[in-house]
Amino acid sequence: MSTLEFFLAGTFSAATIFLFAALGELVAEKSGVLNLSVEGMMAVAAAVGFAVTFETGNHVLGFVAAGIAGIFVSLVFATATISFLANQVATGLAVGILGLGLSAIIGRDYESMTVTPTPGIYIPVVSELPLIGPVLFQQNLVVYLAFLTAVVVGFTLTHTRIGLAIRAVGENPHAAQAQGLPVFTIRYVSVAFGGMMAGFAGAYASTIYTPLWADGMIAGRGWIAVALVVFGTWKTGRIVFGALLFGMVSLGELIAQTMGSVIPTQLFSSLPYIVTIIVLAIISTDRARMRLHSPFSLGETFDGSERR
Amino acid sequence: MKRFISQTLIAAAIAGCMVATGNAQDDPLEIGVLLPSPIADVGWSHALNEGINAVKKKYGDEVKVNTIENIQEGPDADRIINKMVGDGNDFLLLGSFGFMNAGLRLAQRNPDLSFIHASGYKTADNFSPFTAKYYEGAYLMGMAAAELTTTKKLGVVGAFAIPELISTINGFALGARSIDPDITVDVVWINSWFDPAKAQDAAKALIAGGSDVLFSNAQDTPSVVTVAEEAGAYVFNLNSSMKEYAPTRYLGVVKTDWAPFFVASVDAHIAGNFEGKNEWLGMTDDVVVVEDWSSDISADMAAQIEATQADIVSGARHVYDGPLTNQAGEEMVPAGERLEDGAILGIDWHVQGVNTPLPQ
Repeated sequence: MSTLEFFLAGTFSAATIFLFAALGELVAEKSGVLNLSVEGMMAVAAAVGFAVTFETGNHVLGFVAAGIAGIFVSLVFATATISFLANQVATGLAVGILGLGLSAIIGRDYESMTVTPTPGIYIPVVSELPLIGPVLFQQNLVVYLAFLTAVVVGFTLTHTRIGLAIRAVGENPHAAQAQGLPVFTIRYVSVAFGGMMAGFAGAYASTIYTPLWADGMIAGRGWIAVALVVFGTWKTGRIVFGALLFGMVSLGELIAQTMGSVIPTQLFSSLPYIVTIIVLAIISTDRARMRLHSPFSLGETFDGSERR
Repeated sequence: MKRFISQTLIAAAIAGCMVATGNAQDDPLEIGVLLPSPIADVGWSHALNEGINAVKKKYGDEVKVNTIENIQEGPDADRIINKMVGDGNDFLLLGSFGFMNAGLRLAQRNPDLSFIHASGYKTADNFSPFTAKYYEGAYLMGMAAAELTTTKKLGVVGAFAIPELISTINGFALGARSIDPDITVDVVWINSWFDPAKAQDAAKALIAGGSDVLFSNAQDTPSVVTVAEEAGAYVFNLNSSMKEYAPTRYLGVVKTDWAPFFVASVDAHIAGNFEGKNEWLGMTDDVVVVEDWSSDISADMAAQIEATQADIVSGARHVYDGPLTNQAGEEMVPAGERLEDGAILGIDWHVQGVNTPLPQ
């Protein structure tokens, strides 16, 4: 595999972690709930997914268990913020830290152990094509599923009644309630969906992308996913683009070094965050434009009362 | 902050256990051990723990070891070191560079205690930093790599560009080029002690770039080793053997056996003649050990490696014997001279043959 092939193919697999987690966070935020515990949810799910895959040898079971673990952690967050009206930012941070601690305890007996990764899928004929073959048609099944999920989530949010309901709750929960929408249920389900997706991201990280468990292995990728939602200005297509871009940056840093680049590597490492700050600054300059992009009630608690 | 919860739980549990213990004469010697990562089956903390086990084995009931693992460098670590001293540990092993300043402060305040500290450079009368001369082992690995490479390109995945790691990479390059001067070395710094996913990507990038022997430099997990096995590249690592993760492609390990040094330090503390000094330990001290050699290395090369090893142990040869030139081709050490220890401990240049420029 040439360096170029590795770079392009690796971009897709690196992007998959970000994409899963960011799509989940997108849905939660679209419903008006800012869940900053993505890093913690991913860590718990990565530990659980690894443990189950290690014990059973079955990657599918590992993913299912990781998804459930992600939902479990997200429901801790949801209960505090949706039912008990706790501050979303503070709760998200707290649950995130709790998740990192939990993952260390769950993964204790599995430190530095490895599982066999599932092989990539070789689609006949097209996978033999030069360059395009290895890049697009020899990826792991989960990579394809991630991009498929992006299409489904994007379509659901913009073209279906469910998506409309989620967006209505996120824009104005009072109006949505007046219309008869079950605001609390919709928010719970959206946050749980976010937890499940973070769980899949964690399982992908610990059983396929880096098939080993080590405490702290998520290493900030959950935060990149949160940043990605802002970077993509809450639009699915842009989030997919951003995931690929961030994946490309994370690999580009390493490849640039093998080619003898003199650009400071720390600059590459911080690029996703720098880009996100720039995007956030641009969309925030204009209040009207900001309102156009971010869900209007994002981060605000809703107590179910009728008036505003 | 990451491991706050687990840290707190563990610290609290240990504090609880230690409340009852006093400091009377016939009580066992309490040894406090602080480790930066979990004690796994392999890696840095594992190697340190093995050394402590040798102390336990020698002294049995006469020592009581209180280990706190998985503590990241930072303010929380300072607090825990304070607590360990407060809890009555008389001999402390601090297992990471970043524990240096807090440890040193406490050592100065408590002259009766003895401290040994991994990877640092500051000393006090009762505070000894210890470091392994990994470059000696890496030199031998370089010789073996030179025989097995077909692309004449070797790759290194490094954590941070600090002297300890730079000097080891130089040793690897010098060893390889002593056999075949056409060989070059690519380095990728991942700027993290701990990011297995990034380490694996770095290993893949190196392999894609043509490297067919990899050096996993200061990576605590088998991340690089497993990638190498999968891709068919030879690989070696430091501290403890990871052969089981690369059964067919394992070049060998530059192992650290801390047992002789730890036991000697505890001996000295008990005898009352512990002396704080820079402990820079290598093959001569039986601390750096190379083993688990690949069976693909020819008998001829194995003999050559063995002869070189004997020369290093006897002192007849030194890895940093001149003439040495840097990447720009300037002579750094003239022929007949030897780079002195202090200069190696603070080295900030790569030898010729390392392709990648050092990060500024």
